[in-house]
Amino acid sequence: MNQHPGKLGIREYVSIAILMVGAKATEDTPTMLYNKVQNAAWMIPLLSAGIFFIPLYLLIKTLSLYQGKDLFSVINKILGKYLGFIICLVIFIISSFGISASTRTYIDIIRAFYFTATPNVIIYAILIIISAYGAKKGLQHIGSVSYLIVFYVLVSLYIVFYLSMQHGKIQSIFPIWGPGTLEILKQGPQQLTLFAEFFIFAMIIPYFTSNKVFSKGTWIAYVYVSIQISAATFLFICMFDTSLGGIGYPFHTVIRFISLGEFIPNVEIIFFIIWIISAFIRFTAFLYINALMFGHIFKIKDFEYLIPSLATIYLLIGIIPESPLDAGLDFKTPITNLAGPTFAVISILLWMVALIKGEFKHAKNKNSM
Amino acid sequence: MQKKISKLWKQGLNTEPEFNEQSNARVIDLKKQDISASYDQNLATFKSLFTVPDNSDVKVREFTITSLNRKGFIIYLSTMVGLQIIIESIVEPLIDDEHPSEKIPDIVSYPIASTNTNIGEITEFITAGNTALFVDGDKQCYLFETTQISGRSIEKSENEVIVKGAKEAFNERGIDNIALIRKKIKNENLLVETRTIAKRSRNNVFLVYQKDLVNEELLKTIKDKLDSFVVDSILDLSILEQYLEERPRSLFPTILYTERPDRAAAFIEEGHIILLMENSPACLILPATFWTMFHSPEDHYLRTPYGNFIRILRFLALFVAVFTSPIYIAITNFHVGMIPPDLLMAIAGTRERVPFPSIVEVLMMEIAFELIREAGLRVPSPIGPTIGIVGALILGQAAVQANIISPIVIIVIALSGLSSFIIADGSLNFAIRITRFLFIFSAGFIGIYGMMALLIAGLFYLLSLKSFGTPYFAPMTPHSFSSKDLIIRHVPMKERFRPGYLKPKDIVKQRKG
Repeated sequence: MNQHPGKLGIREYVSIAILMVGAKATEDTPTMLYNKVQNAAWMIPLLSAGIFFIPLYLLIKTLSLYQGKDLFSVINKILGKYLGFIICLVIFIISSFGISASTRTYIDIIRAFYFTATPNVIIYAILIIISAYGAKKGLQHIGSVSYLIVFYVLVSLYIVFYLSMQHGKIQSIFPIWGPGTLEILKQGPQQLTLFAEFFIFAMIIPYFTSNKVFSKGTWIAYVYVSIQISAATFLFICMFDTSLGGIGYPFHTVIRFISLGEFIPNVEIIFFIIWIISAFIRFTAFLYINALMFGHIFKIKDFEYLIPSLATIYLLIGIIPESPLDAGLDFKTPITNLAGPTFAVISILLWMVALIKGEFKHAKNKNSM
Repeated sequence: MQKKISKLWKQGLNTEPEFNEQSNARVIDLKKQDISASYDQNLATFKSLFTVPDNSDVKVREFTITSLNRKGFIIYLSTMVGLQIIIESIVEPLIDDEHPSEKIPDIVSYPIASTNTNIGEITEFITAGNTALFVDGDKQCYLFETTQISGRSIEKSENEVIVKGAKEAFNERGIDNIALIRKKIKNENLLVETRTIAKRSRNNVFLVYQKDLVNEELLKTIKDKLDSFVVDSILDLSILEQYLEERPRSLFPTILYTERPDRAAAFIEEGHIILLMENSPACLILPATFWTMFHSPEDHYLRTPYGNFIRILRFLALFVAVFTSPIYIAITNFHVGMIPPDLLMAIAGTRERVPFPSIVEVLMMEIAFELIREAGLRVPSPIGPTIGIVGALILGQAAVQANIISPIVIIVIALSGLSSFIIADGSLNFAIRITRFLFIFSAGFIGIYGMMALLIAGLFYLLSLKSFGTPYFAPMTPHSFSSKDLIIRHVPMKERFRPGYLKPKDIVKQRKG
C-alpha cells in the first residue's frame, strides 16, 4: 500500500529488463552466436549468464553498501574523482555506441523485411523521435508502458516458438558440442555483452522503491532472459540447421515462414507489430539511461532536456555505416566484443577496491552498532 | 533566467487592450453595510438595489403587522418562489394575527427561517428565491426559504442506457440530485458542501463525499481548485469540467461526467468526490482514470460471466473502433503480402474501378459517417431514424455503384463506426473517434510501423495524464492496491478493497467474516 510517486516498482523494472535484454533473441544475435560455435550456439547464453553472474553478483553486493545510490555515484565514491570520471565516461561512450549500433540493426531489419522501399533515414528518424518523446516522459512512464505491453510481447513470442516448433527438427542440434567444448568455453566470456544491460540498469537505482527491488528484479529478469535467448537460439537451430549462419535475422525469417493454418499464410505483420513495440520501449529506456549517464558525468541536473539532442547524435552516428553489412561487422562487432567484458571488469574492480578499502567491514560495523 | 525571458517575451506578445470597468463603488460599498432600523431607509435601499419597479418580477409588499402594530414589508422574486406558501404562512399570519406578541418567529408559521443583517448577503438570499421580511424598528431581516423553481421531474437516463439496474437520471434541480444520492447512501457521514465558484452570477457547486472515507489531501486540492476561479459565471457543470481539468486541450478526458445517480453513489462509496451543480443534469466524478471511463455500471449489475463478457466485448470494440480503418489502409498499401491470395484478388477486383487511393476512400467514408452521425443527433427525433437509414444504406450503396469507393471500405467503416458506439462514455467516445483519424494518417504515411509509432507515443502520453494526482492507468500501472476491477472483474464477494490510488481512510470495504 505504500506508494512512492515517480518510483519504479518491481513489475515495471522486470518488464523493462525483459523487453530490453530479451529482445536480443529477435535480432541478429542468434546468427552471430551460430557463426561462432555452430550447433552449440544455444548453450552460449546460458554459459555467459553463468559467467556474468559473478561480476553482477559482486556489483549488486557493492551497490547494496550504498542504499539508493546509482552506479556512477558509487564509482566516484569508490574510485575517486578522476579515475571515477574516466571510467564513467568509458561506460557512457560504450553504451552510446551500443545504442547507435543496435538501433541501426533494428533499422536494417525493418528495411530488409518490411519497408524495402523506404529510405533508412525516415525509418530511423521515426524510431528515434518516438524514443526521445517517451524518454522525455521519464522512467516511470517507460516502466508503465513496458508493464502494459510485456504480457502481449511474451505471448506472441511463445506463439512464434510454438508455431516454429512444428517446422523444426530436433536432430539439428547435433553435434551437441558444436566445434568442441574448448571453443564453447572460449566463446562464453566473449559473449558477456548479451547481459551488459543489467550492468547499465544499476544507473537507475535511485528510481526504485528500494535497493531490494533492484537486486530481486535483476535476478528474476536475468534468469528468465538467459533462458529465453537460449530457447530462441535452440529453436532457430532446430529450424534452420546449418543455414542459420547465412540468415541475418532468424526471428524475422521464422515469422515469415510460419503460418496460422492454411488460410492465413502470412502472419509476419502481427508479430512485427509486437516486435516493433518492444523495440520502441527498448530504445526509449536505453536512451533515457544514456541521458541519465550524460547528465551525471557532466553534472547536468535537468538532463531530460538533453534527450532530444543526444537522440539526434545517436541517429547521426547510426546512419554512418553504408550498408547493413558494414553496420553489423565494422560497427557492432567491436562494441559487442568490448562492452560485456569491460563492464564485468569494472564490476569486479569496484568490488575489489571496496573490499581493500574496507567498505564492507565498515558497513558491517555500522550495522552491528 | 529562462523564466524571466519567457515572461518578458509573453508580455511583449500580449496585445490584449486594457478594459476599465465602470465604477460601481457605491453599490459595492452599500452591500458591505448592515441594514438600518429605519423602515423607510431599508425600503429605499432594496428598491434601488433591485431597481423596483423597472425590474418586473421583483415584488415588494408593504403592510402593517397587526399584532406588533408596526410597519413591515416583504421582498421576493415572484418567479423563484412558491406564492401560495408566502400568502398562507407569511403574509396572512402577519396581517390577520391579532394576539399580542413580541417576536416575528412566533407569528409566522413558515418552518425554515433565518436572520441576517448584511445588505449584500440579504441580496444574495433574495436572488436565490428567499423571501425577506423587514420590520420597522428591527435591526435584522428575516429570511424564509421559499424557493420553488419549476423544472423537469426525474426521468429515465437517456444517454447512458442500461438494461439491468436503476433507470433514473439526474435532472436540472440540485435538490433532486442530492436527494437521489442521499436515498442510496443513508449515512450521516455523507456530506453535501456548497461552494460559490462564480462571483457575479453566484453559481453554486455541491461537493458530495463520504467524510470518513475521502482522502483529506485530495479534498483540499479540489476545494483549492474550486476556490481559485476568478470568473463572473460558470453556468454549467460541463463548463466547470473544463475549468477543473489539468489539461483542457488534451484529447482524453480526465474527469468522468455521468448522469446516473447510481454510478455517482457507487463512486462515493469508493472514496471519490462528486460535484453537482444547479441546472446541470449530471455530476462530475473526480478523480477519474481510464478504467472509470471505460467501465459501465452494467458490468457490475450483470452476473459475473455476463458482465465480463460485455467488458471484453467493449475492449474489443475499442480496438476495432480505433484500428480497423488504419489497418485496412496499412495492409492494402504496405503489407499486401499479408492478405491470403484469394482475398487479395477479391479486394483488388473491387478496387479496380475506383479512381482514388485507399486512404482517400477511407477518409471520405469516415467523414461521411461522422456527418451522418452528427446529423442523426441534431435532426428532430421523428425524422432521426430515417436520416440514419438514408445516410448509411443509400449513400453507401450509391457510392459503391458509382465506383467512388469499394464495397470493402463500407464494411470497414461500418464496423469501426458501430464499434465506437459501444464506448459509452461521451468524452472517451470522442477521444477514440479523433484518435482514429490520427491513426489513419499515420497508417497512410508509413503503414503498420507508423501506426505502432503513434500507438507507443500515445501510450506514453496517456500514462503521463493525471487526474488530480491519480495516474491515468492506475491501479494497473503504476501498481497500487485495489480489488483488481480492470479489464475483467471478480465476483462481488471478492471485491473487498477500495482503490488504493485514492488513499481512502478505510481501504477495506468488506472484512473477511
